[in-house]
Formats: sequence, structure tokens, C-alpha cells
Amino acid sequence: MTHSHGPGSIACREIFERLSEYLDAELPPDLCERIELHMAGCAPCEEFLESLRRTVRLVAEVDAPTMPAELHEAVKQAYARLLAPPHP
Amino acid sequence: MSRAVSDAELLDRIRSDDPASFDEFVRRYGDRIYGFGLRMCGEREDARDVVQETLIKAFESLKTLHEPRALRSWLYRVASNACLMKRRKGKFEPKRELSLEELMPAGPESAVFEVPDSASPSPEARAELGETRAKVREAIRTLPPGYRIVLLLRDIEQLTTHEVAEALALPETTIKMRLHRARLEVRRYLEHGPRAAAEGAS
Repeated sequence: MTHSHGPGSIACREIFERLSEYLDAELPPDLCERIELHMAGCAPCEEFLESLRRTVRLVAEVDAPTMPAELHEAVKQAYARLLAPPHP
Repeated sequence: MSRAVSDAELLDRIRSDDPASFDEFVRRYGDRIYGFGLRMCGEREDARDVVQETLIKAFESLKTLHEPRALRSWLYRVASNACLMKRRKGKFEPKRELSLEELMPAGPESAVFEVPDSASPSPEARAELGETRAKVREAIRTLPPGYRIVLLLRDIEQLTTHEVAEALALPETTIKMRLHRARLEVRRYLEHGPRAAAEGAS
């Protein structure tokens, strides 16, 4: 690591703040290039980015709970009651 | 792409008062809203109420929605409000902010903490993946609600930044800021585990 690299350095801090936008391809091309250039010379930042990328993937993969079948029926019945004309 | 077309077709059917369209609407979005409600509120009973309130309220108002692309933003806006109402009625949960300073890796050793790769796990990583997934669920559950909701909408429900901003009526810059900190907090949790109670973890 050189003086301008590593956690705590200004260059790394600037990069650190934009990593999610970088992963989401929400940054302008010139900033992406700057980040990639930085990563090429800064192993800790590169490793951190990879760990964040894996974290995002794990979050996206959390189990999707399914609605109980009887709830589907309950929702339909609640909607039908709403539409039914009021009793005199 | 296919979702946009299908949403447009569904919206057409809803607007023309097709009697089967509510059932189709519940089938398409019920599980998603239930999962969102469960992760946001933490209780099955609350998730049930969120599903019921959201699907009925959103379905009724969709009849006047002209832009199919806005369907998901609108749906999650209604669901988010239903969750927030539940929280207000529930037990007190202190507001907590995540600061970027405390989420920065403390040193090079921390920066290289290895998160298991679920896409192509090594044999060792495969063994610990189940444990890691449990930690991820716990990390999400303990995020401050304002950050949790953004993470759920962006990374699990896969809404765009623009859609989340519309759903939560917040600026896109706020969505990006909260998303980044929420992801960093989940990563921090994987490395260090739960925060001490004194730090305000709920």
C-alpha cells in the first residue's frame, strides 16, 4: 500500500462513499473510470468492493416467504365484502 | 421487460372491471407484499394485515392509474405506509442513524474480510453459507427501519432508485445514501455480528 491508499486515506474514503452506486451502475462514466483506476492499484479497496458485491447478492437471495393459501382466500373475501351492497 | 407488458395488461383488465382481475392481482403480488410486510414488521399477524390493506387499497386506486410503469411504485408506496402505520401502533422503536465513519473498515485486515461467495462457493464457503444466510436475515431484521425499508425495496423487491424514491416520497440522493449504509451495515454484521445494546441496536 502506498501513502495515498488504504482505509482512512482520502482517495479510499471518496471511493468508499460511492461503492454502492458503482455496483448499481449509477455513476457517470468518468467517475467509474476513476474508481477502476484506483481499484487497480489498491488491493484493500478492491477486496472491500468484492465483499460488498457478495453481500448485496446474499441479500437479494434471502428466502422469499409465501403467503399462506388461506390468506389469499381471506383477502378475496374481504374484497368481496367491500363490494357487496350494504344490508338494509 | 415481460413484467412491464404483463403489468400493462393487468392494469387494462383492472380498469375494465374484469371480475377475475382482483384474483390475478393477488396471485401476482400477494407473496411479494406478504414477504415485504413480514420483513418490515417482523410479525406474521402484521404481515397479514399489510397484505390485506395494501392489495385492496392499491387495487381500488389502480383503476385511476394511467402509467403502468408506476404500478410497482404505487403498490409499494401503499405497502410501506401500511407497515409504517403498524410500527406506529407497535412498541416504541428508537430512531437510529448509521454513520459512514463507523462503517468504514478500520484497517486493511477488515477490508479483506471475506464474505462467502454464494455464486460459486468453494467447498469451505458452501459449508458456512447456511450460517451466513441466517446472519444476513438477522442483519436485515436489526437494521433501523428507515434503512431496512430502502434495502428491502432496492435489493429484494428489485425496485429502481427512482421507483423507491417515488414509493417513499424521498429524494433519490437519500435513497442512495440509505441503501449504501444499509448494505455496509449488513456486511459489518457478517464480520462482527450484532452491535452492543449500548450502541442502540433494536
